[in-house]
Amino acid sequence: MNTPGATLSTSSSPTDPAAAGAAAIEVRGVAKRYGARDAVVALDGVDLTVRQGEFVCLVGPSGCGKSTLLRMMAGLHRPSEGEVLVHHEGTRRTPTAMVFQDYGIFPWKSVRANVRFGLDVAGVSRSEATRTVDSWLARLGLADFADAYPATLSGGMRQRVSIARALAVEPEVLLLDEPFAALDAQLRTVLQEELLALWQSDRRTVVFVTHSLEEAILLGDRVVVMSARPGRILADLPVPLERPRSAETRAEPAFAALEQQLWTLLRDEVSRTFAGGSAS
Amino acid sequence: MSATVVVRPTAAEIDPVRTARRRRRLERVLAVLTPLLVLVVWEIAARAGAIPVRFFPAPTMIVSTAGDMIRSGVLLDDLGATLRRVVVGFLAGSAAGAAAGLALGLSGLARAAFDPFLSALYTVPKLALLPLLLLIFGLGETPLVLLVALSVFFPTWITCMAGVTAIPEGYREAARAFGASRWDMFRHVLWPAFLPQLFVALRLSVGVAILVIVGAEFVQGNSGVGFRIWHSWSLFQARPMYVGICVIALLGLLCTTVVTALGRRLLPWAQPADRR
Repeated sequence: MNTPGATLSTSSSPTDPAAAGAAAIEVRGVAKRYGARDAVVALDGVDLTVRQGEFVCLVGPSGCGKSTLLRMMAGLHRPSEGEVLVHHEGTRRTPTAMVFQDYGIFPWKSVRANVRFGLDVAGVSRSEATRTVDSWLARLGLADFADAYPATLSGGMRQRVSIARALAVEPEVLLLDEPFAALDAQLRTVLQEELLALWQSDRRTVVFVTHSLEEAILLGDRVVVMSARPGRILADLPVPLERPRSAETRAEPAFAALEQQLWTLLRDEVSRTFAGGSAS
Repeated sequence: MSATVVVRPTAAEIDPVRTARRRRRLERVLAVLTPLLVLVVWEIAARAGAIPVRFFPAPTMIVSTAGDMIRSGVLLDDLGATLRRVVVGFLAGSAAGAAAGLALGLSGLARAAFDPFLSALYTVPKLALLPLLLLIFGLGETPLVLLVALSVFFPTWITCMAGVTAIPEGYREAARAFGASRWDMFRHVLWPAFLPQLFVALRLSVGVAILVIVGAEFVQGNSGVGFRIWHSWSLFQARPMYVGICVIALLGLLCTTVVTALGRRLLPWAQPADRR
């Protein structure tokens, strides 16, 4: 997975892993170029630090490279330049787990087998895996659908399966790539609340990519705004809202103020993408 | 003067279950009724002398000929010979085709090395190879079985390879995100994603196998359903020909049904929702 000496590396000895605020992920001077003669610059000069236990939301116009950046954290892509460091305790095969927007869960596996996948791959013993899977199925309200196949489930249920599969491996860092983008607005609200409740009960490090400002503010400790291609970090704003949050948090004045502030930042970027017609 | 449009429930809304059931029953009756009607018209026309019985014997005559052929043991011997060739050739050809399709689908280098070569061979009509096979292997079972295997190999290979290369990258990415090894990737992602495609290939090639064996038996051998049809022609006997044609059609239906049922049994997740 993570070959030592490669541009993307993981370090298993942060200076003080227990201390609050220690860095979990460091992105240093990352650039990503694609195509013939590197014609497409997806990311350029990105620096970002995610601290342990922090919930960071990445927002930006389509094609700004936010998903690419997230995939680098998962070890799925490599940067053309710079490095991504994922600090972890080194007890698991992968320190990260990822929730995808689609194609995430396997249609040939039952709900139970899907949730179990990460544990099977990690070589967790049968009895321990069964226990862990059962508890996550119960926590996400999937127990009654344990033997169903994904094709019979609604979109919302499928994303619950995807989230359960990621959390079942107890990752040090949870990465989510627009997990609710394909759901209708009401269902999205329900799942946002569920995710909020889950995270508030065990605060692991989360990086959440979304194009919904509202979602980013509701969930995140910080909102990182990226520019249109080439993706750069435009702003990195803390969310001044108390936790625990819930659906009612949306009604607070600070919520609307921050959303307005973010939208002002993004509006020019979005119209730039729109004019360029190069959305991906 | 004024009018009112009235929208009220009809029988279909009041009792949808019963309406649907009645509709299904009607469809089933029609499915049986149409061929039955054709047979009855044929029978009457043949008996009335409207069509020449020498070419178009009445269905009852064909059935009685079939009875004679079963009693004398000819029909079962022929069926056994054909079935043996089809089954052995089909199993060997589809196993090799599936393995080749999987290997070429998974490895770009294997594809580069073998794809142009196999694609060139694919366009050769396999029946054209029969004389060559007869020349090499002599008169016997080997050339017939080999011909079936060859004609099954190519469609299986092509369909399987296309299936593997079409597995969405998203599934592999999801597996890699959990640190899946190459073996995990194969076991949990590639193999199960490949299986439905394999069954599509098998359904296609089982038909090809039967087509080819009949053609081969026309030319070569002294047993088999194809041989029986051809032999009856040389004796100017229409009735055993019809029996042979019906038997080969039923054999095709049986083989396809077996493959489909097996696929449904083994891959419950890949079935259309209404079949589950």
